[in-house]
Amino acid sequence: MRNFRAWLLRLAGVFRKEQDDREFVDEMESHLQMHIDDNLRSGMSALEARRRALLKLGGIEPTKEIYRERRGLPMLETVLQDLRYAVRTLRKNPGFTIIAVLTLALGIGANTAIFSMVNALLLHPYNFPDLDRLVRVWENRGIDEGADARLIAPQDAADLLSGAPVFDALTTYKCGDLNLSAEGNVQPALGCQVSANFFDVLGVGPALGRAFNASEEQPGADQVAVVSYGLWQRRFAGDAALLGKVIQINGKKYTVVGIMPRGFDYPVPMELWVPLGLSPAEKTDRAKLSLESLGRLKLGISVAQARSAADSVSRRLQQEYPTTNANRRSEVLQLRRELYLYTLPLFLLLQTAAVFVLLLACANLANLLFARIFGRQREIAVRTALGAGRWRLARLFVTETLLLACIAGGVAVAGSFWSVKVLRTSIAPSWTMWVPGWDGIQVDRTVLAFTVLLIAIVGLLFGLGTVLHSGQALPYAALKEAGRGPMLGSKCRLRSALVVAQVMFALVLLVCAGLTTQAFLHLVDVYQGFQAASVLRTEIRLPEESYPGNSQIASFYDRVLRGSASLPGVSAAALVTNSPASNVDNETTFFTISGRPAVNASEVPSADLQISSPNYFSVLRIPLVAGRAYSYADNANAARVAVISRSMAVRYWPKGDELGQQIKLGPANSKEPWMTVVGVVEDVRQNWWNPTSRPTIYEPFFQTPQRSMVFLMRAASNPAGYASGIREVVRGIDDQIGLTGVGTLEREITDSIAIIRIMGVLMALFGCVALALSSVGVYGVLAEGVARRIPEIGVRLALGAEPRDVMKLVLGQAVKLTGIGLAIGVPIALAVNRAMSSLIFGIVSINLLLLAGFTLLLLVVALAAAYLPARRAMRVDPLVALRHE
Amino acid sequence: MAQKKDVWQGTLALMVLKTLDMLGPLGDLLAVNYGTLYPALLKLEQEGYIRSEWGVSDNNRKAKYYKLTRAGKKQLEREARDWEQTTSILARFLAPGEEPS
Repeated sequence: MRNFRAWLLRLAGVFRKEQDDREFVDEMESHLQMHIDDNLRSGMSALEARRRALLKLGGIEPTKEIYRERRGLPMLETVLQDLRYAVRTLRKNPGFTIIAVLTLALGIGANTAIFSMVNALLLHPYNFPDLDRLVRVWENRGIDEGADARLIAPQDAADLLSGAPVFDALTTYKCGDLNLSAEGNVQPALGCQVSANFFDVLGVGPALGRAFNASEEQPGADQVAVVSYGLWQRRFAGDAALLGKVIQINGKKYTVVGIMPRGFDYPVPMELWVPLGLSPAEKTDRAKLSLESLGRLKLGISVAQARSAADSVSRRLQQEYPTTNANRRSEVLQLRRELYLYTLPLFLLLQTAAVFVLLLACANLANLLFARIFGRQREIAVRTALGAGRWRLARLFVTETLLLACIAGGVAVAGSFWSVKVLRTSIAPSWTMWVPGWDGIQVDRTVLAFTVLLIAIVGLLFGLGTVLHSGQALPYAALKEAGRGPMLGSKCRLRSALVVAQVMFALVLLVCAGLTTQAFLHLVDVYQGFQAASVLRTEIRLPEESYPGNSQIASFYDRVLRGSASLPGVSAAALVTNSPASNVDNETTFFTISGRPAVNASEVPSADLQISSPNYFSVLRIPLVAGRAYSYADNANAARVAVISRSMAVRYWPKGDELGQQIKLGPANSKEPWMTVVGVVEDVRQNWWNPTSRPTIYEPFFQTPQRSMVFLMRAASNPAGYASGIREVVRGIDDQIGLTGVGTLEREITDSIAIIRIMGVLMALFGCVALALSSVGVYGVLAEGVARRIPEIGVRLALGAEPRDVMKLVLGQAVKLTGIGLAIGVPIALAVNRAMSSLIFGIVSINLLLLAGFTLLLLVVALAAAYLPARRAMRVDPLVALRHE
Repeated sequence: MAQKKDVWQGTLALMVLKTLDMLGPLGDLLAVNYGTLYPALLKLEQEGYIRSEWGVSDNNRKAKYYKLTRAGKKQLEREARDWEQTTSILARFLAPGEEPS
């Protein structure tokens, strides 16, 4: 307590120096005067009295000094002093300061911006309490290669919960379109059927009203609904009286019991949640993986423990129910990880690239600092000669570099507020709404803490580096030689090593940037098997109330197809359930081949199911491999037919006898009609993350009409210009039907890979920065070296060296440094290349041409950077140069 | 004139406190110069054991007066006790006859 009080007073003392000084001098003077008075009284002369008093009491100046140390905090005072000095030095060299600050700000800013993205998307995608304990649980049948749906059979989910004692709770749900009608107005809404404990597992309850009771899971008692904040505001004007009101969903009456808080959007931005009322038969079903599932782990249970527990349950089920569960495995994945299963490597790549940019910036700054230290050798020598200890000097340098890092960090943070805004608004909200956490991208406390940490690390490292670098200066040698003569060998080597490192980093970064940019450019080509140019797309959803039966649906869409095909310049129009690049997986279905029924449910094969209108293959120019595509003649009255994808034909009819075969949807005992395979079409890649093409069955739309379809239309040119045309057509048939997502298919494709596009742009930017920084680095070191070697070059010239030789000398040094950097960089870049090609889904291949190109580019840039110093060296006048000696 | 002793480490604060308590001069027993005295006074003041104010001396000079605070009185008692304890322990060590040379 006493110590703290003293410390506070001393702290205050730091800032009231002058006043305190004056007072203390007064005090001492009065004290001294008393002694002089005493001495005078005892008969001394005035001079003698003062001398004696001073002798007795000690000198005034040393006392002041000791007193000062006790009054304030000497540590703090020197820090302030160093800081003032640092500010002064930086202000005296505005050129150095600006370049250093900008270089560092670039490096720190890049990291801050990327980290703000990583922080929001990877670390805080959802605001659920204890997010790390939430896991997605699903099953894998073992025979559906390439299938991506993460589903579980209802009874298996129940067995997992009871058999693996690692879950606090497990909830299941199933999402899809629901038709919501309120006040006579029918509109499709995104909805989810969820178990009663859904909101409990997530740990988020309704903002108003209540969640579901367990009793509401029974069919018949399940007509209650929870609505989203957005739907409540939009459709019901935020009226709190909505609670207890009845709304119609899919033609049935539901009572609204709860309203979710704003921003709650699990599993995707949903508008409605209703209970998952399964019949007893559905509940105990094991054959079909039909539900999604989310578990909350018990406290202290790791994902690995959960995984092995779930695994042992799965093995037991395999034994107990071989007909359905043979080969079936369960998977457990953290919810946080599941979200970014495909993009996580890209984020890591980006963050690593940002760190590389910072390292490059640091290498550059280090070069600048070391050059400056060299220029300041005389100053350091004088300070050392005057008694400054190494520790004291070190503090001075560290203060200076920390100050630099702080200014740069400030600039970087200010810049990242802006860049984060740009990042957030550069992708259409229609896509970012599906990216959990996107709206959370901001420079928040975590990001600031990260930045401060970076600043501290960078500042301290540089300070220490500078200290170590300057420490060797011997005062007498430095005073004699400062600013002249060649650099000491070790220092020269250090700076050369920095250049080598820079060239290496630059090469690796450039290769990464090149690969990512190339990946982005080629991603569009990834959607092989169809042509997206000149195609307009839109989604159409028909309400059940006005379109209750197949005939109404078919006649509506028939009129849409005919109407749009007659628009001038339109060559064809078609419908499909899920257009390519929608970022949504196709519906999967079991199927049975006539004459080859699967004995066990576990062996029923599965395929993607697409339902499309006759012209679908010609609109997207999907090549027909064999047989025929279906036509308008394949309608409800005709025999059922199907077209299959090439990979399906190859897999199930390796002998090529697929045409004319009979298949039906579902297992062997299903009541689905048999269909004749009439044609085979080329494989189409559905989404960018699907590495292989799934077997796909295409059914004719007019034999099995659906209410929600994607409409596609091929125009001669400018497909976007037909948006109003298609709206007119639809309005002319039914003015209650709105179109959503009207746009070109090409736009859809680029939007669907928006996140990769952004990363491509960022990587390209990083690559350019890397190139610029490393060329500046090479230039800096060579220019400095030439300046220092002018006397030596003068001697060489005087002794008969040709200017050409001198130029060769300098360029040779550049080639040597760059060459070593490249020699180290090439294998690393190759390794990175290999790692990336496995990371980015086989899109990026090892690209030696790219590597060779960038190697050459760096060499050329280094030579260009060396040219100016080399020319300067060539033009050294031996007379002038030697006069300096 | 007897040789003056230097101030023992750590005892100055006690002496200053005692002196202020008795309102007496430090006397001529010790040679305390400014460089020792003033920092000690400052430290005690910062710790709140003494208080200072400007006043006028007997012969009409401006002078700074130091006074003991309540906390200072307590501290004095504590330190005096500690000191006595220390010296008594030392005394017991030195007691068995041996003459210091």
